[in-house]
Amino acid sequence: MRLFFEKRTTTTPLGHTATIVGAVALALVLGAGFLALVGVNPLEAYALVVEEVFLSGYGWQDLLVKFTPLLFTGCAVALAAQMRLWNIGAEGQFHMGTVFVTWGSLHLNPDTWGWSMILIMGLLAVAGGGLWGSIPGVLKSRFGVNEIITSLLLNYVAVAWVDQHLFGSWRDPASNNFPITREFAEVARLPSFGYTSVHFGLILALVVVLVMAWVLLKTKLGFQIQLTGDNPDAAGYAGVNGRLLIILVFAFSGAIAGLAGFSEVTGIHYRLQQNISIGYGYTGIIVAWLARNHPLGILLSALFMAVIFVSAEVLQIEYGLPIAMVYLYQGVILFTVLGSEIFTEYRLRLRTA
Amino acid sequence: MEFLTQALVAAVEMGTPLLFATLGGVISERAGVINLGMEGLLLVGALVAFVTMLGTQSYLAALGAAVVVAGVVTMVHGLVCLVLRANQIASGLALTLFGTGLSGLFGDQLIGKTIEPLDNHALPLLSQIPLIGPALFDQDVLVYLSYSCVLATWFVLYKSRLGLTIRSMGENPAVCDTMGLSVLGYRFWCLVAGGMLIGLGGAYFSLALNSYWVDNITAGRGWIAVALVIFAFWDPVKALAGAYLFGFAIALELRLQLLGIGLSPYFLKMLPYLLTILVLTTVTIRNQRRGIQVMPAGLGQGFVRGEKH
Repeated sequence: MRLFFEKRTTTTPLGHTATIVGAVALALVLGAGFLALVGVNPLEAYALVVEEVFLSGYGWQDLLVKFTPLLFTGCAVALAAQMRLWNIGAEGQFHMGTVFVTWGSLHLNPDTWGWSMILIMGLLAVAGGGLWGSIPGVLKSRFGVNEIITSLLLNYVAVAWVDQHLFGSWRDPASNNFPITREFAEVARLPSFGYTSVHFGLILALVVVLVMAWVLLKTKLGFQIQLTGDNPDAAGYAGVNGRLLIILVFAFSGAIAGLAGFSEVTGIHYRLQQNISIGYGYTGIIVAWLARNHPLGILLSALFMAVIFVSAEVLQIEYGLPIAMVYLYQGVILFTVLGSEIFTEYRLRLRTA
Repeated sequence: MEFLTQALVAAVEMGTPLLFATLGGVISERAGVINLGMEGLLLVGALVAFVTMLGTQSYLAALGAAVVVAGVVTMVHGLVCLVLRANQIASGLALTLFGTGLSGLFGDQLIGKTIEPLDNHALPLLSQIPLIGPALFDQDVLVYLSYSCVLATWFVLYKSRLGLTIRSMGENPAVCDTMGLSVLGYRFWCLVAGGMLIGLGGAYFSLALNSYWVDNITAGRGWIAVALVIFAFWDPVKALAGAYLFGFAIALELRLQLLGIGLSPYFLKMLPYLLTILVLTTVTIRNQRRGIQVMPAGLGQGFVRGEKH
């Protein structure tokens, strides 16, 4: 007797959905096990999460607030992944975006620039994230250096770069030595909706999703990106400049991640400080993977990851659990989803004799 | 001279966890499996060793627990990317996330707790050699263990039949399959053996480098090890040299901070990561110029009998 995988003759969309739902359910059960290990009653915790996250007005607000940066970073990772490139440096590109934006807020005079200030800061974020993102792109394109390692290592450099400024010349003298900058001027902030903490960054993120969907699905550039990813040789023969495309895709990917930084500092914190990203860049990898790199799928998967973030906050407040819970759940979810994908194309069979 | 001797001692100390992790990476990548979960495994090893040490006060138990748990956690990666044929890179990232979360969750209650770090034992005569003697031969027992791991890995990979099979798994799994060898089996156990070594590297952080628990104790060193595997050309002996080179960079960063020279500490903090990128780039360019193909040809590719790849 032996277990083996047998290829399915047909695959159905229903089958896809069922495996994903099953994988997530399994992840929640496994996660419950870890909660129990640290002495938390998982059923009670999950019930509390449902109540606080979905059944309270504040929960929905917080969901949308977390949803916003994840849309950006998910798009950033997915864009590169469409070309079979791994950008796991969205975290660093996010940070570089915040550095450039803050430079703008500290050096531009709000009285002379007026309302155009916020536009310029947005462009600065695009430049900061884009430049940072293009480093692994150039190294990959010119020399074939593994982009996974370079983009990841640059995250640590970018975080140190932020600290360098926060503990250096950018520190607000009135902050009692806290590593934070001065607050941004009124014109250098994104407006919020009514009295909520949901801000205009959400609209910008949705626009980015739509533009990316349009570029990937409807334009020649999008076709070239996907073609190069699937078959670089064929793309080369068809006249696509693959090397240039790698740099472009990484620069755009970084720019989108930089916009996430822009949206967080100008929409939520109104200043640069430490830990503005609570792993949004890394989470972008899962957001993109769950969406199978489809821009519109990102809407769903980013919302799901936002639920994880807000739930972790609830658990943090209620049980004093560290926010690292998020990573644990993300790891488990990614494992179960990856492990379940085979069941959409194969079925498990038992061979007797 | 005194400064250099001390810096070299620190270089070996800082390089030892990198060495264990790089060796682990070499073993699994030689068999054709990428393990991007190194950072997570280091954290798991560090956590388990620290907790066990607190509970039992036994170094041996702490090491054993770190190795076993890291091995078990690696099996999850193996189950997902080998048995269930998922993408190796994504599965490795899941492992890193999982390990980071696990050490963050359980380590939260450990912050501030202390243990007695491992003692150094000077080897007679050898430790008297000027300059390198204290660095190489007046260290703790884990450093000596790492030397034997280098030797053992080198011997197995290059001088034994088993090693030839393992390397063939990484170069051409289809041929191994036609010879009646289980590709899945060899790859799985090489991955797990590598994971256990990485767990040992993790244990070094909490048993030797620190006497107290800090959050994110490995600080991205696992990713440096991922790059070191490439830098070392998938060779255990070169892994030794590479690990100490990077250990030296990290040690220098810490020394320069203590000396209080004009450079900002945050700038110094970037150096090991920038150095890694620089070295990785140089090595890649050099290999291309010379047209050397050192990377195992089947690295990262799944193998299923009867299916096209």
